[in-house]
Amino acid sequence: MNPDVVAAVRRLGREGILTPAQSGLFGRVAGDELVSVRAELRLLLYGGVLAVMGGVGVLVQQNLDRLGPVAIAAGLWIAAAAALLWALRHAPPFSWGPAPSTHMAFDYILLLGVLLTGAALAYMEVKFTPLGTAWSNHLLVMSLFAAALAVRGDSRVVAGAALSTFAAWMGVSASPLERAFWFSGDAAAAARLNAAITGLLFVGLGYGLVQSGRKAHFEPVATHLGWLLVLSAILAGIGDQGAARLGLFVVGAGLAALAFWRGRFPLFGMGLIAAYIGLSALVVAGVRDAAFGFLWFSATGIAVLVGLLMAQRAMRERA
Amino acid sequence: MRAEAAEAERRFDVREAARGWHRAGAIGEAARAAIEAAYPDDRARLGPVFRVLVFGFAVVAVSALFGLFGLFMAEAFTRSNGVPLMLFGLVLVGATELQVGSLRRAQGGTEAATAFLGLCYLLGGMLWLVESARLGEAAWINLALVLVVVLCAAAAYRWGYMLFAAAAASALFPLLARGPWGRLTWVIVPVALVPALLRAGDSARLPPSHRRSCQAVAVVCLVFLYLAVHLGSWDLGLVEALTGEGRASRAPAPAPFRPLFAVATALVPVATFVWGIGARRRLLINLGLVGLLSSIVTLRFYVHVAPLWVALLVGGASALGLALALRRYLDSGPGQERHGFTAEPLFADPERRSTLEVAASVASLSPAARAIERPGFQGGGGRSGGGGATGNF
Repeated sequence: MNPDVVAAVRRLGREGILTPAQSGLFGRVAGDELVSVRAELRLLLYGGVLAVMGGVGVLVQQNLDRLGPVAIAAGLWIAAAAALLWALRHAPPFSWGPAPSTHMAFDYILLLGVLLTGAALAYMEVKFTPLGTAWSNHLLVMSLFAAALAVRGDSRVVAGAALSTFAAWMGVSASPLERAFWFSGDAAAAARLNAAITGLLFVGLGYGLVQSGRKAHFEPVATHLGWLLVLSAILAGIGDQGAARLGLFVVGAGLAALAFWRGRFPLFGMGLIAAYIGLSALVVAGVRDAAFGFLWFSATGIAVLVGLLMAQRAMRERA
Repeated sequence: MRAEAAEAERRFDVREAARGWHRAGAIGEAARAAIEAAYPDDRARLGPVFRVLVFGFAVVAVSALFGLFGLFMAEAFTRSNGVPLMLFGLVLVGATELQVGSLRRAQGGTEAATAFLGLCYLLGGMLWLVESARLGEAAWINLALVLVVVLCAAAAYRWGYMLFAAAAASALFPLLARGPWGRLTWVIVPVALVPALLRAGDSARLPPSHRRSCQAVAVVCLVFLYLAVHLGSWDLGLVEALTGEGRASRAPAPAPFRPLFAVATALVPVATFVWGIGARRRLLINLGLVGLLSSIVTLRFYVHVAPLWVALLVGGASALGLALALRRYLDSGPGQERHGFTAEPLFADPERRSTLEVAASVASLSPAARAIERPGFQGGGGRSGGGGATGNF
């Protein structure tokens, strides 16, 4: 409970700032007489989806011979269809604007349906190879399917899954643990290039969503993931390429400036950190001296601090 | 903690609550403005993104500055056994005092950075000094733990940072473990302290940050209580290993004790959960749930009740079913609530929750990337399900 808010609610009620009904409800919530467990229920749903998908993966791996491919494929398709049917029954009416579902579990069951469909499709592809040598295209099919469902169900979680599946089709895992980036050689360079292209496509998609006014509230998902991919791709190359360092500085600074102008704090932070790393890598790598390194980081650290405080003040005044 | 800083925290809590009410549409703009006028905020604060950036860059700048001093005075640093570290730490502590005092900064990033670094340098300097006294390893570890407990507790008391309080409590238990009845004290101390800490966490006499610190310490105490009675920790001699003498020093476990630990592993999370439900404390409910999950994993480790895929499928389906049933049960009550619980969001920030969910799903459910094709490459079959599904088929 929060005794300060309880006392404040009483005072605000006495002073007429809050109505009796308002102070009654707010006082109960602040005093822990009424507690929302929505976050816990959502966590339970999310954990349930993760566990089911983990179980499906192990089931397919360990019981392939015993159950047979047809039984496994049929089981996966039936489970996916059941989840998707439930989700579509509880879907909100379609709108190009925000249309949140009234059912708390909607997002999670839809996500489960999409994941099960993905598992079924991948399993079919591996066992029966209907796409032949174009086997990896099932990822593209899956990302389009997930995107369609995300738009229909107005689900940003499923939209995120659609984008990360598209990235996988482009040869990039959107997982932060993606390791292919960090190795050198042709494969790493190709992975970085793909990541940068995918990121730019996502940024373009976000821009398109806002310009068209269709599902504009999905824009942050696409834009944040896009910039993350672009900056990660450049960052991964700064170890052995001077151009990457300059690129990271220029792109990061550009993003920070654009985000500052538009009041987008998370993008501003991403851009600033990228620009700082890029510039520091350029300067410190050029002068291999410990004293200069310490001087550089202390001086620039203080300069960025002052700049940040000024930027924050400017943003606040503009708002 | 300074009285004016405590008062500012109380007002900030009310303003934050009003922001939540306004966001949920429960009050209008006029009411919100009236509340903000009634509870003015005199602190210089930053939003979460700027705060993290400022904290990070302050840590970089201050650490580099110290590195620069260290580079030019390396010999003096080595000869003075950590005194310069302590002096630098004291300067940073002074800087923190200045910021939270006359500069009236709160949640501004820089004061948290100087507080954190000041404590680190002070601790580092003291430990260096103690090490130079050549007391022996056991005494050095004991003294180091005492210093961590005292300094972190003092910092939490003075500046109200919950993390310092949790750090102090986390160092206290290894210190207790080094005594003759380590495991027993891990049980007695939480049982004695947690009810008092939770009561203090509701006390109007304490400022909000001290209340949160009490809750954080209560969480740490309960975690260590669970570790003390956990069957795996008993079998591994986890507490006894912290004495530095290893498992061998412990007398062989009396036979009746082991089942007791098995029962306690199951009962402690259940008791925590039930306590949370009874007292309507989300902190205890969440801790109980995490403990229950850990106990189920422990059970699966010791007893192979079912194949892994069955356990995961049944567990996942049960979690989904339980959440749906609970939601239906709560929604069907009068006013969509039962026993003081509701599934309605009340005044939580839906945008923040949604962002976290999207980030979590992208991070945890992203499919593996397909191999990038090069000349001579032969497709070898899919290993990713798309839509986030992964696995090797």
